[in-house]
Amino acid sequence: MSALTSNKFDVLLAAETRTRPEERWQRAVPVFGVPVVTSSFLVLVALTLVALVLTGYRELAGLGPVSGMTDAFGWGIWKTFNVMVLTALGSGAFAIGIAAWVFRRKKLHQLMRMALLTSFLAYACGLLLLGIDAGRPWNFYWIVFPWKWNMHSPLAEVAICMSIYAMIPLAVENIPPVLERLWYFDSRLRPGVEKMEKHLHSVFPYIIAMAYLLPGMHQSSLGALMLLAGERVHPLWQTPFLPLLYVWAACFMSFGCVAGTTMLCCLVWKRAMDMDVLDEAARITCWLIYGWAALRLIDISFREQLGTAFRFDRFAGVFWIEMIAIIGGGVLLQQSLRAHDKGKMFLGYVVSSIGGMIYRFSPTTLAFRPNPQALYFPATIEILVSLGFIAMGVAGFLIAVKRLAILPGPLYLWHDMASYFRFRRPYIRWTGYFKYGFFGEDEQISQDNSHS
Amino acid sequence: MITKIAKTGASGAVAVTIGTHAVREEGEVIRIPSTAVGLLYDATICIGCKACVAACAEANDTPPDTRLDGLHQAPDDLNDVTRNIIKLYKPTDGTPSSYVKRQCMHCLDPACAAGCPFQALAKDPETGIVSWTADKCIGCRYCTITCPYHVPRFQWIGYNPRVTKCELCSHRLEQGLKPGCTTVCPTGAVIYGPRTVLLSEAKRRIKENPGRYYENKVYGETDNGGTQSLYLARVPFEDLGLPEIGPESVPAKTLRWQRRFYQYFALPALLYAGLVQVIRKSVKGHVQEAHDHEKETGLRAQL
Amino acid sequence: MASSHKPDHTIQSHLEAAGVSRRSFLQLCSVLMATAPVGMTLTKAASAAEVAARVGKARRPSVIWLHFQDCTGCTETLLRTSAPDAASLILDVISLDYHETLMAASGKQAEDALKKAMEENAGKYVLVVEGSIPTRDDGVYMQLASRPAVQVVKEAASKAAAVIAIGSCASWGGVGSADPNPTGAMGVDSVVSGKPIVNLPGCPPNPYNLLAVVLEYVTMGKLPQLDDLHRPVFAYDRVIHENCPRRAHFDAGRFAAAFGDEGHRKGWCLYKMGCKGPITHASCSTRPFNETPNCWPIGLGIPCLGCTEKNVVWKMATVETVPIHLATPPDTYPPIYSGAGKIKTGAAVLVGAIAGAVGSASWVASQRFKSSEEAGVERIAADRELADKEAAAAKAKKEV
Repeated sequence: MSALTSNKFDVLLAAETRTRPEERWQRAVPVFGVPVVTSSFLVLVALTLVALVLTGYRELAGLGPVSGMTDAFGWGIWKTFNVMVLTALGSGAFAIGIAAWVFRRKKLHQLMRMALLTSFLAYACGLLLLGIDAGRPWNFYWIVFPWKWNMHSPLAEVAICMSIYAMIPLAVENIPPVLERLWYFDSRLRPGVEKMEKHLHSVFPYIIAMAYLLPGMHQSSLGALMLLAGERVHPLWQTPFLPLLYVWAACFMSFGCVAGTTMLCCLVWKRAMDMDVLDEAARITCWLIYGWAALRLIDISFREQLGTAFRFDRFAGVFWIEMIAIIGGGVLLQQSLRAHDKGKMFLGYVVSSIGGMIYRFSPTTLAFRPNPQALYFPATIEILVSLGFIAMGVAGFLIAVKRLAILPGPLYLWHDMASYFRFRRPYIRWTGYFKYGFFGEDEQISQDNSHS
Repeated sequence: MITKIAKTGASGAVAVTIGTHAVREEGEVIRIPSTAVGLLYDATICIGCKACVAACAEANDTPPDTRLDGLHQAPDDLNDVTRNIIKLYKPTDGTPSSYVKRQCMHCLDPACAAGCPFQALAKDPETGIVSWTADKCIGCRYCTITCPYHVPRFQWIGYNPRVTKCELCSHRLEQGLKPGCTTVCPTGAVIYGPRTVLLSEAKRRIKENPGRYYENKVYGETDNGGTQSLYLARVPFEDLGLPEIGPESVPAKTLRWQRRFYQYFALPALLYAGLVQVIRKSVKGHVQEAHDHEKETGLRAQL
Repeated sequence: MASSHKPDHTIQSHLEAAGVSRRSFLQLCSVLMATAPVGMTLTKAASAAEVAARVGKARRPSVIWLHFQDCTGCTETLLRTSAPDAASLILDVISLDYHETLMAASGKQAEDALKKAMEENAGKYVLVVEGSIPTRDDGVYMQLASRPAVQVVKEAASKAAAVIAIGSCASWGGVGSADPNPTGAMGVDSVVSGKPIVNLPGCPPNPYNLLAVVLEYVTMGKLPQLDDLHRPVFAYDRVIHENCPRRAHFDAGRFAAAFGDEGHRKGWCLYKMGCKGPITHASCSTRPFNETPNCWPIGLGIPCLGCTEKNVVWKMATVETVPIHLATPPDTYPPIYSGAGKIKTGAAVLVGAIAGAVGSASWVASQRFKSSEEAGVERIAADRELADKEAAAAKAKKEV
């Protein structure tokens, strides 16, 4: 153990932008020393409860009274924001996973658990809202009969693919942190845990491959959804390349979401940041953004629609906000790499993700023109339900990150955590780690060598 | 590894070529149902009496829509209780005005049915009528977005919402009656019959009345791949709310690559096989590294 | 009263004898056709001449007209014709054998006239009843020659071929039956049974409806098609609203709001002033009284009171608006594109707040990275110093 840890249990911040060897992220460590139930957590829970009550009202009263949806705008913000946008942010498992497993970017493996957790929560939130948004959800059982599916329908593809994805690959890939905690929690559980882990590892390649195929399919089908609307989507967005652009946007958005969330968590809980990993992620994100923007602009010019971007209407406005946000985010990221500026990197992630969110949101609402006069704006209840389920996701994230090893950290942090539980709060046995000892040994033996 | 990628790539290319050719053969021609029935609406004869609006509500047992002022049956557009409506195109520059009757077009390749996840909206193979089945509908409202004519309407109030649109009074057709709107039209502006007969009637009218009809065109003959509700008018069809779509149907035009990619699920399966190969290798390497790391640090590997 | 009691006289021969011109008779027949375009066999003819032929062949019907609790308005409506020919024409076509208002006799002579008319034409005469029949307290409130009305009407109906209850009073009780109905006033069909009864409600009803019913019976031998309230379908199958002359204003949404206001003076629809037209079955909107158009409440700018309907006229307030049961399309048209949405302020504020919160939080966080960096540098340096000091101290201790 390095001398830097000394007797202090407060963790140091990494000031150097190039990671010192002992501060390299080597292990996912749970966030310790912080209670789960804080005032912000309670606010999130309150928002979730409000959303649940309003959902009950929606089920009884129908969709009209709770939302701004009308005949002209059949889809409000539930399908278009929580499903289309949030699952794009939650494509971390897909994008970062492909970079780590298929393209062998080894450094990104440290971000995998964060990516998997955010993906799982984003998809859970999205699928719940998909169910709430459907007007006749009791007929969802038809999903079990493949011969009843309309295979030509992009929406069928999205619903089926997303459900399978969330239930199998995502869930399975989120089990290892839970198993790990069980392993540390109770030594009597270890044989069972190890057996399960072995089974999991044997099917890992198949599950992981599914976890890349399925999101590729449904993220692009989310784009194909608006292809069928044809002329009603403004030509700056409507293109045969819409599925590809949607998948690509999901990639850079999820990089931004995962890396940005990781940076924010490290900032809030005072954890050292491994700039090697984050620089790698920023580099990839940068190239993804530039490639995407190039494809979009070339496609628009080929279809001779570039002129429409220079009119003074709301569509051009949204277009420029999107492009400036996305390309600006890419530029910020690139600059932050050179200047070793973490604040700029974080801003770059946030701005490009927001631009991507607006892009994925536009074809269904901002750029959708069913008739010349129609306008759409969400109702308050609609917004509160959407917000409440996002709050539920965030609350779930907070619980997971404080109870499971998700957030990456340097090696010494693991030892600090062990010491924290051993000496600072020895009476808290139920926190799970090191209940029965250090490194998995029995408490009696390790207490003899107790010595921090 | 490179040879592996090359092998999978080559087989993939072969599969794509074969697959797209297969699709091109079968998917591009739209089938016209054997006894396709439809409506012919001649806007130059319509007097805007709205008897068809009242008759449609009566034939389908829906209450008249008095929501706007509480007194008159005055829907301002198709909605969850209005399957058929008369609208007025009145330009301010003195060019001729026209009434237009809007209801389901019963397209030969309907976009609503193409997008419906569990085939709640389906086209009858014989009569060609596109109808809605409550038991299969999940209320996703995708049909309201994909229909180029904005016909299907969702019921926004209540816990058991339905999707409403003209179904050519199929319940009356079974009894040998005609659709409600056609039985009450006082001028014969809208008539019912087999599509072939209606089409030849429309063409006969165009031939015998040169200059009366806009561009001597029957809207619906080939528009959007062909529809079973045909229109004749003296003003541009776009002004009446019937968009210019072209001879290719919306689903055929927009979902072409989507359909080719998922044909027989061949490409996704191939992609999956390729991914599994690549990932197996990566996993092996990763597990090896994790075990090395475990030995180094003495901490259990996190896989 | 000019009448001939010869039972075998046909109407045709009588009219000729009375010197009535064929033209007037044909006119009367075309009025009949207009009165009853459907629901009657007599008028289902191709021309007035055909109707005239049918009527001409029939025997002149004997009609006995009884008055009970009435205002005699129904009789007046028969007489209030603007062309004197038509009134007398009606009286020439039918043989009004007993009518208290119109006959010259009174007292004992009148009683005898009634008895004689009932005996001579027993089983053949048409009994017309005007006015409601009191039933409370053994019916003492209206007596004819010291006999209660109930008895009189039952006796008269027993010998009649058919009973026509003219006016709302005879049909269902009329004004006399309004709350609290002190006399127990009732319509004829509540008191008489076993005979075909035709109700012609209205206050007053249209005289041509009466004539049409009588002639149908006399020429065709049967009563016209009746609805479930025994009213002839040809006159009472539609509500006033369906054929109202002010209907165009209703369809266009032009309503008078109060007596004398601009809309009222322009003759706009009286629905909002409580017109009961939408729920009142009557023929007033298509067949004018006194052969004069606008000679009826709505024509004069007074909302219809619903005088034919038992549940309307003395039950509902005059100004009470009624629901429209048969909503019909208005004369306005929806445009090709409709449905503009609007932005609700509350939601807009919420969205703005969320966007602002997210934006400012991101900005603040990005700034904190910088400051945390600097703080971190000092911290690392300080900690390194401390660590070095401790290491040195430990070393010194060891050496000691």
